[in-house]
Amino acid sequence: MKIELIDLKQRYKEESAQILTSIKKVLSKGHLVLTEELNKFENNICKYTGSKYCLGLNSGTDALMMSLWALGIGKGDEVITSPISFVATIGAIIHVGAKPVFVDIAEDLNIDASKIELKITKRTKAIMPIHWTGKMCSMDTIAKIAKKHKLKIIEDAAQGMGSYYKKKHAGTYSDIAAFSTHPLKNLNGLGDGGFITTNNKQLYEKIKLYRNHGIKSRDNVHVFGVNSRLDVLNAEVLNFRLKKLKSVILKRRRNIAIYRKLINQKFIKIPHDTKDQFSSCVIFLCLCERRDELQKYLNSKSIQSLVYYGTPLHKHYASKNRGLHKTKLPVSENLAKKVLALPHHQNLTTNQIKLVCREVNKFYKNS
Amino acid sequence: MLVPYNYLPYEFKNVKNIFKKWKKLTKTTDFTLGKYVAEFEEKFSKYIGAKYVVSTNNGTDALILSLKSIGIKKGDEVITVSNTFYASAGAIVACGAKPILVDCDDRYQIDINEIKKKINKKTKAIMPVHWGGASPDMFSIMKLAEKYKIHVVEDACMGIGAKINGRSPGTFGIISAFSMHPLKSLNVMGDGGMVATNNKKIFNWIKKFRNHGMIDRDRIEFWGVNMRLQPLQAIVAIEGLKKIDDVIKKRNKNAKKMDGLLSSLSPNLVIPDRPKGFRETFALYMCLVKSRDRLLKYLIKNKIEAKIHYPIPLNKQRAAKNLKLNQKNFNTTNKQAKKIITLPIHQYLSKKQISYVAHKIKKFYEKN
Repeated sequence: MKIELIDLKQRYKEESAQILTSIKKVLSKGHLVLTEELNKFENNICKYTGSKYCLGLNSGTDALMMSLWALGIGKGDEVITSPISFVATIGAIIHVGAKPVFVDIAEDLNIDASKIELKITKRTKAIMPIHWTGKMCSMDTIAKIAKKHKLKIIEDAAQGMGSYYKKKHAGTYSDIAAFSTHPLKNLNGLGDGGFITTNNKQLYEKIKLYRNHGIKSRDNVHVFGVNSRLDVLNAEVLNFRLKKLKSVILKRRRNIAIYRKLINQKFIKIPHDTKDQFSSCVIFLCLCERRDELQKYLNSKSIQSLVYYGTPLHKHYASKNRGLHKTKLPVSENLAKKVLALPHHQNLTTNQIKLVCREVNKFYKNS
Repeated sequence: MLVPYNYLPYEFKNVKNIFKKWKKLTKTTDFTLGKYVAEFEEKFSKYIGAKYVVSTNNGTDALILSLKSIGIKKGDEVITVSNTFYASAGAIVACGAKPILVDCDDRYQIDINEIKKKINKKTKAIMPVHWGGASPDMFSIMKLAEKYKIHVVEDACMGIGAKINGRSPGTFGIISAFSMHPLKSLNVMGDGGMVATNNKKIFNWIKKFRNHGMIDRDRIEFWGVNMRLQPLQAIVAIEGLKKIDDVIKKRNKNAKKMDGLLSSLSPNLVIPDRPKGFRETFALYMCLVKSRDRLLKYLIKNKIEAKIHYPIPLNKQRAAKNLKLNQKNFNTTNKQAKKIITLPIHQYLSKKQISYVAHKIKKFYEKN
């Protein structure tokens, strides 16, 4: 039996009939752009996260870019972030004209808050903590640093839906936060999508105009804007899936707890939640000795696994081009050699987890 | 009799084929780019006769992508027309460049004589718009651009299915942008767009830029963004391509009938020239009318959903304030803005409905 990393197929199979019925209903109304379904989604997110405002956008990348843009970050500015993330974090900073400044990560794969102040310069305008795999950064410390140096905070909460730090949801520790609803997230659409949350009315109004061509009313353009609207069909799917999100996350957390119990953690480490963190567990990343060999072995046993990601962002060719690769980030570089995602989704059975653990333990025992 | 402007309630009534393919898609779980997006791009490139097509999030992103692909940046100027949808200028601004607006002609298309006057050292491109689904004289624009050695980027957002001497809009400039917004001739169930080019180098760059600059999952060549078309929508577009010619035919038939019925109303109502060799998509069926606001009210009272594109042209919008425009340069646009009206003409209208619209307009002018 093959054990797959993710479960999109199964998930869709269960939900297909309901999704198609509700899409049909949307279609019959004759409006497919910025509709009541999207409004409803934005309200639902506000309720769930406790943020005042939410705006649905094309993608998580757009959410990051618009957050930066709305805060007035641009050419000549520096934004502090960490290199263990999806490429979009850096792409967004670069494309508003700013410069990403890398801070190394801690053992939990998130930015090491104790190293942030060393990188602050006159040009630093913002800190962009990434809640990698759904585990939130030390937001208290980061907020203190930001306050002291008068910096903005933009949470890269692409994986942060359903994540909490000290019982407060992702997005509530910052000026603005960017979320993704890409198919590989816990709250996922059937394609690209994203949104921002904020408590700042001004930022909200700014992005609301900007995402829809700067149009105030049909015949009045206030500013020149762009088009970044969350797909209405996906908004409907997300409304439907949001109802189940809590139970999805609980199942995922339960699975990881089982993994933790059964895997011999001598050669493989599973980063813990601290008492302040409540991770939404988007990806199940372990730190493995002899990672590549382990992956090969698991593969031979029909167990899927994936390196998320093997190259820290500052080591990519795209970084070299901009001289970003010279930053010394030993923890990131070291952990990038160890990270491996193991099968992890809400439909994973205890037996499947047992099997994966057995094989992992066998691999290390025999070698 | 109701004559609706919005035809979407009819458009996606039969979604059997689309849903079938969606179900297939969910089995592949290919929700990012993938097979259907590639299939659509290939089919569309054949349809319009361009070598390369890359699909995007929407028409605006397609414009931004087009401009960025030829290096448009801060300090550059791009010439475009004053009566267009805001996104044409918005895309130029999004690249950091300055939109240089010029007046339009009697066919509501960019006035080629005005373009010349605005070309200077900073001019990096001309962006003609195929406004309303009609086209400006692309041959003359290309000649002009060649003379001054500047690029032409076509805003063909409304031009899918149009023809100029047999050639599709979007095959003249170095690169072109299209939209598949629900109210376009080729439409999806939300936002969608694409760019077309014959230039391989531009194509290669665009393909990567739209997907985070990635060569593959583990290699990033340069920092890009996310401007991908949703596979769900690619499937809708593939189905749409099957009927696009039929849609254009029906709209042309309706427009021809409407032209015939309204032509006697001049000078109260003036239909634009429809020169030989130009096939329109009739994204917008526009004419210039006397007592426009009263006519609009009258039509709406009679359940004819007429619209105005647009009562306030781009050159008079608050967003254009920074451009410090001299309104004297926009005589035609400003005059048209007071007189222009858009009548329903879409493919779902019957002969009866068209006659009814014409009849009501005639009646209005008899009384006034």
